[in-house]
Amino acid sequence: MWEAVFVESWPWWAGGIAIGILVPLLYYSVNTALSVSTGYGSLIRLATKQPRLRWFAQQGFADRWGWRVFFLGGMVLGSFLAGRLEGRPFYTAEMGVFTELLSWSLPHYALYFLAGGILLGLGARLADGCTSGHSIHGLSTLQLSGLVATIAFLIGGIIIANLLRMFILGGITP
Amino acid sequence: MIKSKLIFLLFGIYFGFVLSRVEASDFNLIYGMFTGADLKLAWVIITAIVVGCLGMRLLYALGNRTSGGQQVKVSLKPLRRMNIAGGLVFGLGWGLSGACPGTVLAQLGEGKVLAVFTVAGLIMGTYLFAVMKERWPGMDR
Repeated sequence: MWEAVFVESWPWWAGGIAIGILVPLLYYSVNTALSVSTGYGSLIRLATKQPRLRWFAQQGFADRWGWRVFFLGGMVLGSFLAGRLEGRPFYTAEMGVFTELLSWSLPHYALYFLAGGILLGLGARLADGCTSGHSIHGLSTLQLSGLVATIAFLIGGIIIANLLRMFILGGITP
Repeated sequence: MIKSKLIFLLFGIYFGFVLSRVEASDFNLIYGMFTGADLKLAWVIITAIVVGCLGMRLLYALGNRTSGGQQVKVSLKPLRRMNIAGGLVFGLGWGLSGACPGTVLAQLGEGKVLAVFTVAGLIMGTYLFAVMKERWPGMDR
């Protein structure tokens, strides 16, 4: 039992159920929609005493130590615990097939993942949500915006992953 | 106030734990989902949506109340043109970095050093949006 929960990776259905119940549970206990990407705005707000940009002056960021800071921090803590229980090393430079197949220098990797992150951050704000807010929460609550955004996420992901496979990773899929 | 933040911390710990356990933070699985080689994560997401939807129906059937007796207020996002363009930009980032804004936090917790750069990029991208929004207030409609 311990092995199945804490060491072996979970099957898709177990993870799906565990993630899905978060949506009603968050509403039931704190009347809040599952949402992650706006939390990066909260992190910036936390680091700025007087926000100069109007976007940071919105209601959701009024409290510098808003709930999103705790939610995001908790996510890092929870996966840290999962990693320890699973017996992962404390840190690793690996990132799946990407680092297996390529031997770039650190600055190259840094720029690559920084670029990916910038697209994620900008894209999530332009699209008004991320995988959590649009795909899990939005589709769970049957919203059209969630459906449209999710399809756009998938199209973008499929395009770039196939370009990556063809031109950078040498046609290899894991 | 402190109590509710503790609840959010616990929900975060739970979410991060689950994302890590189901390998949503695994670059190979995200790459595999988009190339069609391994659809595990697609099934995770589909199951989560179905379970979330059934859970919300149940909550509604039980009177749509929170544990404190408040009326549940579902957050509604309007349909916008930028759902498409922004969504495509987001998808490119998702496929490049092998992470979304949630799973990158799980990568970080697991000790994947390169995730630090994805997180830094996410913060920069969010800030970039705020700067652009200052200049063009209607751009995300």
